[in-house]
Amino acid sequence: MHYPEPIAKLIDSFMKLPGIGPKTAVRLAFFVVEMNEDDVMEFGRSLVNVKRKLMYCSVCQNISDRDPCYICDDSSRDRSVICVVQEPKDVIAIEKMKDYRGLYHVLHGAISPVDGIGPEDIKVTELIKRLEDEGIKEIILATNPTIEGEATAMYISRLVKPIGIKASRIAHGLPVGGDLEYADEVTLSKALEGRREL
Amino acid sequence: MILESIKLSHFRNYESATITFNPSVNVFLGENAQGKTNLLEAIYVLAMANSHRTSNDKELIKWDEDYGKIEGRLKKSSGTVPLELILSKKGKKVKVNHLEQRKLSQYVGVCNVVMFAPEDLNLVKGSPSGRRRFINMEIGQIQPVYIHDLSQYQKVLHQRNALLKDMSRNRNKASDPMLAIMTEQLIDLAAELTFRRFHFITLLRKWAIPVHASISRGLEDLEIIYKSSAVDVLEDMELSKIKEGYEEAFGRVREREIDRGMTLLGPHRDDLQFLVNGRDVQTFGSQGQQRTTALSLKLAEIELIKNEVGEYPLLLLDDVLSELDDFRQTHLLKTFKEKVQTFVTTTNTDGIDHNMLKHAASFFVASGKISEPKE
Repeated sequence: MHYPEPIAKLIDSFMKLPGIGPKTAVRLAFFVVEMNEDDVMEFGRSLVNVKRKLMYCSVCQNISDRDPCYICDDSSRDRSVICVVQEPKDVIAIEKMKDYRGLYHVLHGAISPVDGIGPEDIKVTELIKRLEDEGIKEIILATNPTIEGEATAMYISRLVKPIGIKASRIAHGLPVGGDLEYADEVTLSKALEGRREL
Repeated sequence: MILESIKLSHFRNYESATITFNPSVNVFLGENAQGKTNLLEAIYVLAMANSHRTSNDKELIKWDEDYGKIEGRLKKSSGTVPLELILSKKGKKVKVNHLEQRKLSQYVGVCNVVMFAPEDLNLVKGSPSGRRRFINMEIGQIQPVYIHDLSQYQKVLHQRNALLKDMSRNRNKASDPMLAIMTEQLIDLAAELTFRRFHFITLLRKWAIPVHASISRGLEDLEIIYKSSAVDVLEDMELSKIKEGYEEAFGRVREREIDRGMTLLGPHRDDLQFLVNGRDVQTFGSQGQQRTTALSLKLAEIELIKNEVGEYPLLLLDDVLSELDDFRQTHLLKTFKEKVQTFVTTTNTDGIDHNMLKHAASFFVASGKISEPKE
């Protein structure tokens, strides 16, 4: 027994999403069949709109529904600091903190020769251009603490220093509010390495 | 530490088996290809979460089964710890005291083992990669951070090699700053690994030299040398000095690395050298000298672990007892009697000291079944 074509196509579409295998896809597809029509139409429109109405901010390269985006356009923000992150998701994470009032720059990736991603494949050129004409004093490198994120941060800091702009790297080590006894040995030993004088 | 019992499910040729061990010596008797070594392997895997025989975990699961499991109860001075290792086609899970450990570095080191198997002759005779594996496994048992640094090092190495390969094909100046950064990342980790390795070799030397002298009845002097591909490491060398050494060495080979398209220096190309009476055992040593050297290293490890961890490890002897002459056998058993829980496999008890067998528990192994022999 084959699935009717519309269902088969829907199952196939669901399977293109991450973390969804054949069984989940079938379950979701049949759930959609039972959903009321308005909800389905809304769902369909959302899917299309995310592609059609979303754009990249020409300044910070973050995803946005307008150009320049709300953050770049917000005159109350500190325009002398840029926080450099790998993905749009990271901007959301830092914004949640509600403590950072500077600007952002989204790289859309990290340098990784193994995957054939060099400095020219991420938005580094755009960042350097911003530094030249915007009166920036400091950039905060908030790429992930992985080998690739670390290499990307080092690369950018070297480009930035000759221009006379301060480059800083976010710290890593023990989570705040965590008990020492629950930290694993590796984190603990790295935190010890990065200790600072009081 | 004492392994009180072990329970196997779908491991190698065992459908299921539960064994309670003797706290001093355990002998597994049986014909060839019955599963004696598989038992030792099970203990080894339970401790190290890796096999000494294969890097493919799927081979450990019984033929035609989806998963395999090893459970053990380990008595340490701090109390009894249940250990559990589950092997499946998707990967392995490890549990300490019924709690799953997400990082292997959190698991390896809870139970310490030292194994001496016929393959260990390769430690002396074989390729450098075998000796590096030995160093990595042993330091990993005592220092979990080492495993983390090693895996970070391998990631950087992988990235750096990809970059060098790319640069060897089309040379553009734009890659130069990237190479400098990856070299710096590599050096940081390389120096860390070299530093820990050298510290380990110093300890190993301290224990292995007297052991070797004693099993060779004072006729042989052992010396262990760490051969670094980049720096001449001296005793008590500081981390910063090692780093400087690497920086200088990488500067020298830069052009050659770009030509070849690969990383030419680092801990992944280092080696160990063993000298007996001043001569390289690998090339000039007799079979007997090579065997004694391998044995000395393994026995030294027992004391080393005791010193670093505070408890004696388990000793696994795979089919080696009958190969040692009486003197070395007596030495081996005398040294560790009462102190180290020992697991031995053998096809027959003829070559084994009978005094020892009196105090040991024996198990018969036949086609994946274990039974305690009747007197």
